[in-house]
Amino acid sequence: MRAGLRRFGGLAGMVAIVLFFAVSLPDTFLTARNLLNVTQQVSMLAVVAATMTVVMVMGDFDLSVGSMASLAGVVAAMLFVAGWSIPAALAGALAVGLLGGLFNGVMVSLVGILPFVATLATLTVFSGAAFLISDGRTIFGRDIPEAFGAFARGGPQVATVDDRALLLPNLTLVALAVILVVWVVLEQTTYGRRLYAIGGNREAAVLAGVPVRALRLSAFAFTGVGAAVAGLMYASRVASANPTQGDGLMLTAIAAVFLGMTLTRDGQPRVLATMAGVLTLGVLDNGLTQMRVDSYLREVLVGAIILAAVGLSAMGRRGLRGRG
Amino acid sequence: MTMGTRIAAAGAVALGMGTAGALAQEVAVITPYLAQPGTQFYVDGFTAEGEERGWTVNVIDTAGDVGAVISRIEDVVTQGVDAIVINVDPAQVGAGLATAADAGIPVVGMDAGSHPDVAANVTSNGYAMAAETAVYVANRIDGEGAVVMFTFDPFPPVQVRGVIADAVFANFPDIEVIDRITPDVSDGGIADSRAQMEALLAANPEPGSISAVWAAWDQPALGALQAIEAAGREGEGIVITGIDANPQARDAIAAGGNFEASVAQDFEGIGATTAETVARLLAGEELRQRVIYVPTELVTAANAAE
Repeated sequence: MRAGLRRFGGLAGMVAIVLFFAVSLPDTFLTARNLLNVTQQVSMLAVVAATMTVVMVMGDFDLSVGSMASLAGVVAAMLFVAGWSIPAALAGALAVGLLGGLFNGVMVSLVGILPFVATLATLTVFSGAAFLISDGRTIFGRDIPEAFGAFARGGPQVATVDDRALLLPNLTLVALAVILVVWVVLEQTTYGRRLYAIGGNREAAVLAGVPVRALRLSAFAFTGVGAAVAGLMYASRVASANPTQGDGLMLTAIAAVFLGMTLTRDGQPRVLATMAGVLTLGVLDNGLTQMRVDSYLREVLVGAIILAAVGLSAMGRRGLRGRG
Repeated sequence: MTMGTRIAAAGAVALGMGTAGALAQEVAVITPYLAQPGTQFYVDGFTAEGEERGWTVNVIDTAGDVGAVISRIEDVVTQGVDAIVINVDPAQVGAGLATAADAGIPVVGMDAGSHPDVAANVTSNGYAMAAETAVYVANRIDGEGAVVMFTFDPFPPVQVRGVIADAVFANFPDIEVIDRITPDVSDGGIADSRAQMEALLAANPEPGSISAVWAAWDQPALGALQAIEAAGREGEGIVITGIDANPQARDAIAAGGNFEASVAQDFEGIGATTAETVARLLAGEELRQRVIYVPTELVTAANAAE
């Protein structure tokens, strides 16, 4: 009952935010164009947050996703400069993401370093590598193939509104594909259920014969590849790459997972709940900008709303435990 | 459409704009770089001029996130602002510019760069700045002597400065450019410029064998100054000039040593002129000039402290 109330509270808060903007911005907020636009704006965050959910299910973190996103963008750009084709360069960047993720996994699960420490260290390593291979420069202009930048601007046309084409953005489609993969892995496979078992009680999972080491190691591959995908999406959106451009994704992605956890039974990370968190953050940025709220005040407000949501949820859970 | 109807249509547009003006125009200024000192001055200059015109100016800072600039452009397009001003490389926010163009909202660059979807870019004239200091050098050494140039051709805004200095020095038959150095800028440009200048000083030990150092920006000028002072050759009257007039360069110029001149950009003026440019667009004017230059000022010991 109490848990239901808590979850209801989180959901009601998110609905209230949407209603607030719908009333405040009657002409522009709840339009198909704006909502599709929001999905495009949050697409990179959605990919990082979805894959972050995979490790957070086990109670782990990956702090290196932002710098991995930057690194992947820079790697692809440098490969473009070196004359690689678009598919080859993208594959190269994704391979870097996979290797980086597996490296994190090895550090956390085989070497046994706390995820916070291990991924904080690789955050620095990936960021340094991005600076190293780009020489600290932004790679843009003729070095970036036109088709690569055009991808983020395009998408199948779904309608024509006010004589302007309404597109289903390609970036949104990529994000949906990643979310689907993560949802299937976490919710529909033994692999996913075992990750939840590790998060529930690692000792019990070990005793029950769950291969905890292998699972933890492999789960970090998701965050590595997810970060690389997001970094490539970002690079496509800005048609350029620089060694810091993805860095902001990490904290926001973790915030989105926490926001999502306020919606779930037992406060577990669930990928669809994470997406509700992502959309809430995206809607806040979009709505507050349209309402001309000062950009710094906007940041304060977004942080305060995260605190309020997670705080209320924590209080609800404590109340639940107190009763149990 | 005949010329007459076209003028009538333009008049109608201007009239329509006039009535809309009574409702207060709204302009969004979007930049990832508000924390940088120069950007503050642009924005202050723009805001002052815009508010004088009765506009609502909404300044949006994305704190270094260029991707978020695109998102915020999309948001203010949805919101329906009258004009957008950007202070970021337009090539990186092309997706947002396309959205604005699609919605018919004009975008003006405030020292941003040129782009088909940017109605005009307001900036300083790099050609003119280089001409100021190159001519200063030529006049100070009475049109004769050995000149060292520090340039950086890989970066287009600096490359144009070098081109002008080349032309000015080539026009003086008794000026010889003895070296055209491209310093390594990975550590800011001062240290490597100093090292390169030290090598040149060692190769030209005779007093008076180097008359001047022309640098395309301030850091190499400061490096050359350090090299000359470290070699104990500050008494030879070697003239040094830079461009940009950063605080360190101003201090050096004010001190009255070999570093004699630099050129200051008028950042607030760029902001104010950007506002004027937006006003022209809102009045329905079609801009012929896609790049609008704001005058710069030569900084010497006479005015460096200002």
